[in-house]
Amino acid sequence: MDSGRPLLIALDAPGPWHQQLVGGKAAKLAQLAHAGFNVPRGFCLTTRAYDAFLMKNARISAAIRMELGRKPMDDMRWEEIWDAALRIRAIFLAQPLSATLRETIAEDLRGLDTSKPLAVRSSAVGEDAAGRSFAGLHESIVGVHGRQAVEDAVRLVWASLWSDAALLYRKELGLDPANSRMAVVVQEMIDADYSGVAFARDPRDMRKDCALIEAVPGPCSLLVDGLVDPDRWELDRKSHSIIAWLPGQRDDAPHDDPLLEACDLERILDTLLSAEQLFGWPPDMEWTGRSDSLTVLQARPITTAVPDDDEKRAWFLSLRPGDARLKALRERVAEQLIPELESVGQAFAAEPLDLLDDQQLADAIEQRSAALAKWKKVYWDDFIPFAHGVRRLATYYNDAVHAQDPYEFVGLLRNQPLIAKQRNEAIGQLAQQLAADDTLRSAIERVIEEGDGSVHWPAFHDALMRDSDSAVDFLHDFDDLKQRFLDVSFDHERLYDQSEPMLRNLLELAQAPGQSLSDELEADTVAVLEKRLLDAVGPERYEEALELIETGRVSWKLRDDDNLLVARLESQLLRALDEAAQRLKALDRLSGEVRPNISHVEIVAAALREPSAGPIALEAPAENLTAELSGTASGETPRQMTGQPASPGTATGRVRCIRGSSDLGKFRHGEVLVCDAIQPTMTHLVPLASAIIERRGGMLIHGAIIARELGIPCVNGVRDAAGILENGDLVTVDGYLGIVVVGAAEFDLELGIKRS
Amino acid sequence: MNNSDEPLFDDNGIKDNPGTPAVRERIRQLTDKQPYAVLCVQGEGQPYGALVAFVFSEDLRHAVFVTPIATRKYRLLSECDHVALVIDDRHNKADELMEIEAVTVTGRSQLIERGGEFDQWAGLLLSRHPYLESFVKAPTCALFRVDVLRFLHVARFQEVNQWIPDAHS
Repeated sequence: MDSGRPLLIALDAPGPWHQQLVGGKAAKLAQLAHAGFNVPRGFCLTTRAYDAFLMKNARISAAIRMELGRKPMDDMRWEEIWDAALRIRAIFLAQPLSATLRETIAEDLRGLDTSKPLAVRSSAVGEDAAGRSFAGLHESIVGVHGRQAVEDAVRLVWASLWSDAALLYRKELGLDPANSRMAVVVQEMIDADYSGVAFARDPRDMRKDCALIEAVPGPCSLLVDGLVDPDRWELDRKSHSIIAWLPGQRDDAPHDDPLLEACDLERILDTLLSAEQLFGWPPDMEWTGRSDSLTVLQARPITTAVPDDDEKRAWFLSLRPGDARLKALRERVAEQLIPELESVGQAFAAEPLDLLDDQQLADAIEQRSAALAKWKKVYWDDFIPFAHGVRRLATYYNDAVHAQDPYEFVGLLRNQPLIAKQRNEAIGQLAQQLAADDTLRSAIERVIEEGDGSVHWPAFHDALMRDSDSAVDFLHDFDDLKQRFLDVSFDHERLYDQSEPMLRNLLELAQAPGQSLSDELEADTVAVLEKRLLDAVGPERYEEALELIETGRVSWKLRDDDNLLVARLESQLLRALDEAAQRLKALDRLSGEVRPNISHVEIVAAALREPSAGPIALEAPAENLTAELSGTASGETPRQMTGQPASPGTATGRVRCIRGSSDLGKFRHGEVLVCDAIQPTMTHLVPLASAIIERRGGMLIHGAIIARELGIPCVNGVRDAAGILENGDLVTVDGYLGIVVVGAAEFDLELGIKRS
Repeated sequence: MNNSDEPLFDDNGIKDNPGTPAVRERIRQLTDKQPYAVLCVQGEGQPYGALVAFVFSEDLRHAVFVTPIATRKYRLLSECDHVALVIDDRHNKADELMEIEAVTVTGRSQLIERGGEFDQWAGLLLSRHPYLESFVKAPTCALFRVDVLRFLHVARFQEVNQWIPDAHS
């Protein structure tokens, strides 16, 4: 490190400023300031300050390297990337600034008007390189009051060099723990009536000889965050005349009173074109104020957006709604969409399909298929973005509380009446009935065995009634469980039709010691964490904090429920398809043993509509070849697999892979549950497991959280776990370290010991 | 030279250098610069090697490393405390055979239980490898100290010097 480089430079200090030292944003602001443009007063904390901070706190660099090297980043799901960024953020926040750095900042703060809020903005090296803009990948924090808050904001902005979005674009950004650096701009905020963005050329068509100006009432963040629809002007670059004016929406309707007057537009355009002359390229400029008080907030080369040839990443970036949008989403999801989805499922379930004629049944199938398609779209468009409610609560809690464990906030989500939780309680009660009644338990075991592993419900019902006196109550409760909770699909099959797996699970649960947290204990945790957060933010922000806690909780609950409710629609579609298949079979118009699935809607509905048409045959679903293709070559076996330490603890046991609904009933107490992801449909198995291994990674996915609540070791994010591990494999799951050791540490091969 | 505590090696043909500052300094420089060593262990006559992140104590009498307990090396360490560490700088000088230096360290390993001296040795390891913090803290990891019996320093391909800290202290 060059100790001759300054830690901090005032924005009006003489240049030239090197981008390597101050980053793109600060370099351009300084250039504007020196050329006489009006820019807010402030200073830049240089990349040397970032270097000094990391050098003093060696843990940070080490943590970044560990996070980035844990597994190939291309194999990481976005939830894992978000987790990595959260942990990096927490470690930045946990390290103190050096006394020198604190004094340097304090000294320069004295030169600013600190009675007003400040803005603390990222200025990463190379982020605004011509032709590509990574706006929005790094953090800028506005409304910062006081020295401590500035110090916190500086650390957050530094941490945002490693934000989830930045990690997603790590290749384009050239992110590298050894060489990447972040400078920070601290500026006075300007309190103006109007703000906006101006483009020296139309970003939609750079060849057109026109400029664009967008304006909103209030601060520029309203426009940048998409909270207010701007008025938009298209101006001729030569004559400065207005080509078009497009009013923004106010209260869901366009207005007829332009926000800016001609003199304001003239002034903004003049400034914009002067900046273009200064830089030598057409800028995209954020501004605030009007006429003589016009202030340039920042300028960078025009780009269309984050450069993207990857739809998934663009989609991921859309999953970070701001607080206002999140609140609106909460209202829409909780008050409108979920109740609607619930009632659609109930209506389908209540429909007496056997009373419909064939035409009506065909209509019902198509209606259900259309409803399923519609709700799957809603799932992607609304439900998944709403999952951000939990992540927003995470960052809010960690920023305020500076918790050692970045997942401490999860305690705030406990005690929510999730549908899956209610189902698991009902399952628990049935298991208790069996545990207390040896005769009933033996009767069920016997009847299942007599049925050769499969259970035909009416026969099972009769046999059990014959064998056990207490069967009436049990059958009543079991039927209730099916009606309320098993009318869902799992792996595209209807669980309602399969009583045997659930009966087997109940038998296992009856013999396993109960594992659940008491509601009182959970309530205590919630109260402690809530108080911790409120104490940290102070009375002025109680309302904001409580609002975010509520959004987090609703998001947490509904993100579980929505899966089950959509699975219910699929179950109801399968029910209608089964009804149709029975009718067609009775008429010899359906051959083969393939049960209809959701890909057969068209052919089955058409057959119902055309009684004179010939018989049909259904294509069997394609086998999933993924596991086979990604398996290891002959002679190669994984000895140790790595993932994310999602729940602490260690356990050794035999693998049971859950790949489809037929595997559910095979799960035995003490086995290690291996699956792609623990779905809400199968969380009742978790208390039976000695440990959990999942392909899907993330600390906030439901499997991980339930495992933590029950104290079961869990490693997730293990690449192709269910494809590589086989039933019966002996594994040791180390939930502290995130590793799975396969097999025992034997030397039988080297020592010539033959295995029996 | 005779060391009854270490019956596995005889000393024929090895220069017994009384730990001249030069050799000792070369050993110190190599162990200071290189973060990783090959840990050599054995069980029932079967040798086994594994890469570990290590650190030496200031007096070079002890080395420390950490391993998860579900591993082969942990099992072997539990059965036999005769170990060796191989440390070298070949990755810096792949094409310069004569410039490569290596040290083979022989000694006895000892599991350091939590409490007592644990924090001292764990702190030493973390000062060199701060990223191992979560490993060291994890109850499924074990911290081992190697009490050094002998250093064998190799330079210029075949030049071997030996230093036994205890013999010349």
